[in-house]
Formats: sequence, C-alpha cells, structure tokens
Amino acid sequence: MSTQSIEYIISITSQDRIGIVYEISAALAELAGNIADSRQSVMCGYYTMIMRASFPVEVTRQTIEAKLAEVDRKSPTPLNILVNSIDEPLAIMGSPENRYVLTASGADQIGFVARVAGFCVKYQINILDLSTTLSQGEFVMMLEVDLSRCASISEVRTALVDFGRENMLRVVLQHHDIFKAVNEISLPIRPKREH
Amino acid sequence: MRSEDILKTVEMIQKENLDVRAVTMGISLLDCHRADAKQTCQAIIEKINRHAGKLVQTCEQISSEYAVPVVNKRISVTPIAHVGSGFDRDGFIQIARALDEAASLVGIDILGGYSADVANGVTSGDTELINSIPEALSTTQKICSSVNVGSTRAGINMDAVARLGHVIKELSERSADSGGFAAAKFVVFTNQPGDNPFMAGAIHGLDQHEVVINVGVSGPGVIARALERRIANDGAENLGLHDLAEEIKETAFRVTRCGELIGRRVAAELEIPFGVVDLSLAPTPNVGDSVGEIMKILGMDAIGAPGTTAIVAMLNDAVKKGGAFASQSVGGLSGAFIPVCEDRYLADAVRDGSLSLEKLEAMTSVCSVGLDMIAIPGSVDAATISAIIADEMAIGMINGKTTAVRLIPVPGKEAGEFVAFGGLFGESTIAPVRSVGKSGRFIAFGGKIPAPIHSLKN
Repeated sequence: MSTQSIEYIISITSQDRIGIVYEISAALAELAGNIADSRQSVMCGYYTMIMRASFPVEVTRQTIEAKLAEVDRKSPTPLNILVNSIDEPLAIMGSPENRYVLTASGADQIGFVARVAGFCVKYQINILDLSTTLSQGEFVMMLEVDLSRCASISEVRTALVDFGRENMLRVVLQHHDIFKAVNEISLPIRPKREH
Repeated sequence: MRSEDILKTVEMIQKENLDVRAVTMGISLLDCHRADAKQTCQAIIEKINRHAGKLVQTCEQISSEYAVPVVNKRISVTPIAHVGSGFDRDGFIQIARALDEAASLVGIDILGGYSADVANGVTSGDTELINSIPEALSTTQKICSSVNVGSTRAGINMDAVARLGHVIKELSERSADSGGFAAAKFVVFTNQPGDNPFMAGAIHGLDQHEVVINVGVSGPGVIARALERRIANDGAENLGLHDLAEEIKETAFRVTRCGELIGRRVAAELEIPFGVVDLSLAPTPNVGDSVGEIMKILGMDAIGAPGTTAIVAMLNDAVKKGGAFASQSVGGLSGAFIPVCEDRYLADAVRDGSLSLEKLEAMTSVCSVGLDMIAIPGSVDAATISAIIADEMAIGMINGKTTAVRLIPVPGKEAGEFVAFGGLFGESTIAPVRSVGKSGRFIAFGGKIPAPIHSLKN
C-alpha cells in the first residue's frame, strides 16, 4: 500500500442475493483499496451498503467506477453504485457527552418522519443514526442525535414537550450514557465537564 | 444500539418512573469542634455550606442532563456525639439548631447524623447527646437522629436500650400535636453502617472520606412494573419463582447502573470522591412505589400471610445479586425496606390485620432494615418499647446484619385508630402490640448482652 492515499465513500444498492459483498470487496482489493469502515442493511429484500475506503493516489474515481461497473455487468441483479471522494476532512461528529437518544412514537401517519426531522433541523440537532419500527401498534422513531450545536438542553426539552403535544406524539430525549449504562456491561464514566 | 434495548430503557424511565432516590453528601465535622458550642456551631454551618452549597444545584443540573430525577438531596454528618463531646445537653441542642440552619441554607430537606454509637459503652458526649434528643428533634425541622446500641462484635448495650425506650416515649409526647411525629426522625440500630444514604439513619462514619457522595437507587416501583410485564407476557402458569427472581435481578442491575451513573457524575462535578450505591428498595406512600405491592405480585393475597418471609428473602437476595454486579462499590443498607407508614400496601395490611408486629420482625431477619415506621399505641410503656428494640437488635447481632427500630408511639391513640404524618412519612393504622407490660423485669436488668459466638453456626 502506498503511503499517499485518497478516501472515498462508496454506496451500493441492489436486490439482495448471495455474493454481493464478496464481488464488491474483491474488486476493490484488486485496486489496492483498503476498506476502513462499512455498514450494511437489508430491507424487504433490498440490500444497501455504505463504506469508506482508501486507494492509492494513482487510482482515480473513474478507475473505481469502471471497476465496479464491471461487477455490475456480471451481476444477475442490477447494482446502483455511487462513488464520491472525501475532499474535505471528516466533519466533527460531536462529542460523546452531547450524544442523546430521541424517540418519538405515535399513530402511523404521513409526514411523521419529516416532522421529527424538521424539529431537529430547527434546533440544530444532528442525526447520527435513525431507525423506525412498529411497536404495539405505534410507529416508533429512534434517533441517535448530537446536541453539540444546541444552545441549551433545557430549551430543547421545553420545545420538545410542545412539539409532542402539537403533533400528538410521545417524544423522549434521553442521554446516550443512560442506554449504555443500563444495557451494557461497562459503565460510561466521564470526568468533570469543562464549562 | 439495538432498538429493543432503546424501547425497553425508555419504558423503564418514562412509564416506570425510574429515578435516583437519594444523593446524600457525607461530610466529616470532626474538625469543627471549638472551645465552646457557639463557635462550634459557626464552624459547622461554615463547613456544611462550603461543601454542600452547590449540592442541590449540581444534582438538578445532572438530573436535567440525563432526564432522570434525583428525588432527595440530603446530607449526613459525623455522629454529633463525637463533634460535640465535652459540651452539655444545651450545647448539643445548639448544635442541632445549627445543623437545622445549615440544612435550610443549602436547600436540603433532611440532615442525618445527630447520632452516637454506644454499642460497647457510653461516653459523656454520648450521654449528653442522648439526653438532648427529645428536645433537639422536637424543636428542629430537618434533623434526623440515630443511636447504634449493638454490634456483632460488641453485643448489645442493654442500659442504652432501656434508656432509649424512654427517649422514644418523650419524643412522641413532645410532638403529641403531630401524632408523635418527632419519633419518626429517630432510629435505633445494631451494626449501623457509616455510608448509608437513606434517612433517618444516615451518618457519615468515622472511617469515611472528608466529604463523599453516596447514592440510593430507585424505589420498588420499577421492580413491580418489570414483574407485572413479565407475568403478562409469559403467563403466570409458565413462570417459576426462579424466573421472577431473574427478572428482579436484571431490573436491579439496570436501576443500580442508573444510580451509579448519576452519582458518579454528581461527585465528578463537585470534585469529591464517590462512595457507594445503596441498593435498598425504599418505598414511598405514592401509588406504585411499594415493596408490599411486589409481595402481592409474587403471589401473596394478604401481606403477612405464610410465605411472606420467603418472598422477602428472595426479593432481597435477587436485588443484591443484580446490584452487586452493576456497581463498583455497593454499601449502606442495601436491602428491601419495609417501613409500614411509608408503604401503602404494608399500611393497608396492618389495617386489615394480616400484618402483625411479629411477622414484620420475622421479615426483618431476611431483609433490610428493621421494624420501621410502625405506629403503635401511645399507651405502650417504655420498657416494652425497649424490649421490642432488644428483640430486633438481637436479630442483627446474631445474623451479622444491620437491623433498626423506628417506632412511633402515637399519644392518645390505640390500636386500630389512624394516624397521618404527611408527605413522604405517610400514614397508617396503629398496629397492636401484644403482651404489653410483660418485659419490665428483663429490661430492668440492664447491663449488656454479650457478643455472640462466631462459630457453631446454626
């Protein structure tokens, strides 16, 4: 591996079948690509993957795209592939002490996710992870969020109470540490906060 | 994080009212002794204010950050018999008032530690403090008092037990207009721990840090709801007691974790050491916050009926197993409390006649902490009260555990009548005491019950 490298974000969507991960990763390995991080998920038989990989400087975006297009041609299911270079340094993901979990539940309705996401935009809440589920007949939205850019947690809490009432939703904002503390073996211990 | 973990946790906090029951700051007052009581009082107020000035504010800040309520913010101090040693009864009463003033100044509701340890013998400071207790507690608002009269190593000081029967009577008579309420702020111990965050028995022991934060975990409500949910999901017919014990254990783990997390954050913010998490399930008169209710869920149609002691034993042990693994440092009392007035189901069982003093005594041999918050007829004599104390202390001494007695003789009322103390202290029907006046000769002997043998365990 050369010392100089460029990072790319690659995302793939396809109908799920055996062999997708192998074909993609083998193709990237042939280009000396190093996969640093990846996530995948399957929903209703559709597969999606996002990964961060670094390549030697001589491997261009076009080379990667061409290599993956080759995989697509041989694939029995069409692959939707996106390749983007990471030109800017990675955005700061917030600090662990500002990490919270927001859950919103209520009757399943059009615009549910948009309303909750809209609230997050209004209060500068960055969504780090999002999942939704149906639980006991209710639509439940769970967001891991970063509140580093919020002016005050109490202001967000007050606004959240109003938001929940106006939209007939049960919304709960809890610190991420609580979830770790009660569900994981090791306790998240933090030093005194710098004021 | 798995979404079912998220949902379960949210449920526990929101629907089941998970909280942190007590954050108690222990403060050593050993360096506050001065040439006279007045200067000592000034030193005490200054020191408490210096260390605890930001206690309430910090608890509220952390509580808001985590959205987990910290219900009670309190202080425990070095047993005052040590701090005021050399002063007379009046000097001690001045100190009690200074403590009351300091408690108000820093915004806490209760301060514990107006206390003495006389398990082996009585110093002049102990004598003056004990003599001052009735006036000190009936003329202050926020002070709680305790006396340790026995230990597994030392035996039981029966002279002190005899004296404290009179102290309890006087406390109740001096506060007759509030049903003898002053007696609810006084508790007699065997094997009293020096790191207990719960009142009325909190003290800051002589082996502790200069200042420390101890935490009491959430109440019995969370355990009760977890059991109800498990039984509803799986069906009672498909569950054994071992399954329910496991459910209690897991819930105790979560509850303890929460207490430790918040407690450590408060300690870190205040830059003082974190002491212990006390795993005790402390009920309140609020609906859904009852240890008695757990007994009902676990199959008792009448609390106090045969089987009750076995259930309490299982509950207590399961809580300890879950909590001990969850926390780095468990301490204090760490067991299920059965304070009658403060627990609606227990109070109802006394009213219905299914729960007697004798059954409560049996239950205390397998749980924390003793005959607690039991209203008895005002006519019961001091010697009988002392004898009840002696019985309870014997259970603690022999079994190497903490036991305590907090009885409230209600002036002018008899068994079956009703008394209400208000707020967290609750209300109850007055429990009958059987065979009153038959223990006088025993108590009159005084002296000491020797320390028990530590082998031949049966």
